[in-house]
Amino acid sequence: MNRRNTALLWVAALAFLFFYPRLFGPYYTNLFVSFAVFAAYSVSLNMLLGYTGLLSFGHAMFFGAGGYGTALALKHIPGLPIIPAVLIGFFTAMILALVLSPLMVRATGAAFAMLHLAFGQLMYVLALKLRGITGGEDGISGFPIPPLNIPWMGSISMNDSMNFFYFVIIILGLSGWLMWFFTKTPLGQVQIGVRDNTKRIEYLGYKVPQTKAVVYMMSGAFAGVAGSIYGLFQNLVSADGSLGILVSFAPITNTVVGGVGSFFGPIWGTAIFQLIQEISVRYTERIELVEGLMLVLVMMFAPTGFVGLIHSMRSKLTALSVSLASRKYVENA
Amino acid sequence: MNILETKGLYHDFKGLKVLFDINLQVKEGERHAVIGPNGAGKTTLFNLITGTYSPSRGRVIFRNRDITGERPHELRRLGMGRSFQITSTFDRMTTFQNVRLAVLSKRGIRFNFFRRLENMHEVTRETDDILKRINLSAERDMPAGVLSYGKHRTLEISLALATEPDLIMLDEPTAGMSSEETHTSVELVRRLTEGKTVVIIEHDMDVVFSLADRITVLHLGEILATGTPEEIRLNQAVKRAYLGEAKE
Repeated sequence: MNRRNTALLWVAALAFLFFYPRLFGPYYTNLFVSFAVFAAYSVSLNMLLGYTGLLSFGHAMFFGAGGYGTALALKHIPGLPIIPAVLIGFFTAMILALVLSPLMVRATGAAFAMLHLAFGQLMYVLALKLRGITGGEDGISGFPIPPLNIPWMGSISMNDSMNFFYFVIIILGLSGWLMWFFTKTPLGQVQIGVRDNTKRIEYLGYKVPQTKAVVYMMSGAFAGVAGSIYGLFQNLVSADGSLGILVSFAPITNTVVGGVGSFFGPIWGTAIFQLIQEISVRYTERIELVEGLMLVLVMMFAPTGFVGLIHSMRSKLTALSVSLASRKYVENA
Repeated sequence: MNILETKGLYHDFKGLKVLFDINLQVKEGERHAVIGPNGAGKTTLFNLITGTYSPSRGRVIFRNRDITGERPHELRRLGMGRSFQITSTFDRMTTFQNVRLAVLSKRGIRFNFFRRLENMHEVTRETDDILKRINLSAERDMPAGVLSYGKHRTLEISLALATEPDLIMLDEPTAGMSSEETHTSVELVRRLTEGKTVVIIEHDMDVVFSLADRITVLHLGEILATGTPEEIRLNQAVKRAYLGEAKE
């Protein structure tokens, strides 16, 4: 695809997003917000899983840290504007990642996954037990959602689902763009080197633990943004909704189904799961059964995920058209 | 002037003694070959010098600085680079991306996540220059993992050289190459290491005697002899240990 087509595609996508809430009404607007939250969350997980080769079973702790950070700030600081509230979510998750990083950057493989399972569950239990702060099982709800104040443009209410939709698209779009940008920078390239050949990266003069720590903090911080938006969206942050084990597994399945090796894979995966949920909920209550079946099928028949499937289909099509063209050439000759 | 020196280096792997009292001296600017039969401890000696393991006893001195037990990335920053006997590249990246990682490290661009790599034209230009010099321009956009054996080995050596170290440690650069590939690689090493200090492990005696200024012979974990190629050729102990009993 050349540059002009890519630009056209982006313009079309932005126009679609702009008219989306007007075209589809509040229900699908909210559905899209929830999709955007989990897509951004899955992309942040893929920074670890796809780009650094680290599987985390506890990514929800960053999602939850962002959510609780924002919710607590809004509850206790009167008059806090919305952007600083989201930034507080971002930094809460980043600080949690910073605190854990000295331990986590030295673990790989199963140890990394299990340590995250342990710390993720620890956060979950803490959220349940520290009732005075977190509200226990009820979580924190009913905190004020401040309007967005733009100088010279007045304040825009965030209780309106259409306004909130645009706010979310901008914040999460920016987060996604920053993560994408990161993969194109020198450190992003070193990160892929760490995944592919840690020993050689060290002998080339790069510090492996420090590189991993930067990536880890970034991954955690953007998961925190997603969690923060999710809390604002629901006007509720709870242990089960933001820190539970299923919240940790969702981005993993999204990423695997969408394609681990690609930046946009997790976004496709999230869309696929959301569609399956939307459709299957009309016929059965056992959505997990359908999702599980889907995951097994992907593992068996398309281990590179949706994006990998598209790539291999495209290259097969190219090969086919080339062979057809050459046959024609031979016939003509 | 010695750029690298080991003082009384010993190493054992959980009781298995591999190296005894190694006192190696490498002079600034020379090409120094380490030879010896299989199992003599050559690669272990390399791994001790380049920080893969810490020695059981003894010290490693690099430019009058004690570097015993320093981490590999520290050593690289002090000016030591190495290649591996078993090819170790980034196989899913392209040849260009492989070399670019070395170029970035040499330029000290390590923690930059504010600029896009493709906008760093200096880095791109330098990487392409290196690819031209090592004759891999045609393979620029191929994943390293699909290169032919000889070209993959060339990339392996070039990754060590592209960071422009002052001391280059090459662990069997021509391992497994055909004689033609060997010839090309030796020329490459000779060309790219002009004026640099090189320590090289090598099995191919033609390579050793054509490339090295001085040779150290390791046998059963001990240094048997050190000297010019001529001295080593005439050394009776070396002949006995390495080439078998003389048939004169």
